[in-house]
Amino acid sequence: MAGRGKLIAVIGDEDTCTGFLLGGIGELNKNRKPNFLVVEKDTSIAEIEETFKSFVTRNDIGIILINQFVAEMIRHAIDGHMESIPAVLEIPSKEHPYDASKDSILRRAKGMFSAEDFR
Amino acid sequence: MGLDVEDASLSLDHKLLHLMDQLEDLEEKREKLNSLIEEGWFSISKARYSMGNKQVSALQYASEMAPLVRVHTKVVASGEAEFQTQREEFQIAGGDDGGVTVEDIGPKEEGTTPSEGLRRRGHKKLSELEEEVSSGQQKETSHKAKAGRTDHQDPLKWFGILVPQNLKQAQSAFKQVIEHAAEIAALQSAILATRVELQRMKEKHKSSTAGVTEE
Repeated sequence: MAGRGKLIAVIGDEDTCTGFLLGGIGELNKNRKPNFLVVEKDTSIAEIEETFKSFVTRNDIGIILINQFVAEMIRHAIDGHMESIPAVLEIPSKEHPYDASKDSILRRAKGMFSAEDFR
Repeated sequence: MGLDVEDASLSLDHKLLHLMDQLEDLEEKREKLNSLIEEGWFSISKARYSMGNKQVSALQYASEMAPLVRVHTKVVASGEAEFQTQREEFQIAGGDDGGVTVEDIGPKEEGTTPSEGLRRRGHKKLSELEEEVSSGQQKETSHKAKAGRTDHQDPLKWFGILVPQNLKQAQSAFKQVIEHAAEIAALQSAILATRVELQRMKEKHKSSTAGVTEE
């Protein structure tokens, strides 16, 4: 495998971030910018959106993991991301189980079947 | 002309079945991922219970961290992206000289040796200080050797020397989650590529069937 691989970023609650950092994904770059965001009760939607957008524009990130309840807060930004890299993966959180009907990828796949197709 | 339409219909059906298979595969992988994450949370909660509420939190994250896992990406012609994880092993002990050294525990600050840190502040004898100055050159070299190790510190060490088994279990669960996440990311990308292809085929099929009806 040539070249250095990309990073995995995470936006989620404390336990989700702690778990993934234990798994070894954490990085603080030269500008001391982390590749994770711990979403707490007082974290604003604007901050989450800004972080998500910065992760999307960073070319050293390959996958963005995001708690589904956080993804719901910035759904428009997630739906607007159409590139295959970085891939956005919605994951469950402790208090909010994963709901496939909310997942942007599955909704896109589902959207291609109209009632006309089943006639 | 009729045969062409039939072939197109068949390939459209095949593509649709392929998409369905991919979706089924995704659902299976998702289920596995979700259960592994849950397992990880339980282990973190158990570790928190035995270590204390504040001992497993974001406050323990190191101020310097480097990734132990990276993901290699490749976009193929069809627009599909491939993701493959690669884990970098951290060094447990040993420097450049091959000798065995004791690993430092706890979050590390760049350019800080234990003797400079807070643990041994004050009460230094003059002879010790002189010794430090004379061995400055040597320390600089060992600093450089240590820098490599600092980059790849086991995140478990952020939480203490003797961490409970549960925290190790949480780490192993999340390591597996990362592997699964890369697989799911690749599958999601494949699904989106199949979807685009299917849409293109549907459009083509629609126009060709319209042509046949007109004839």
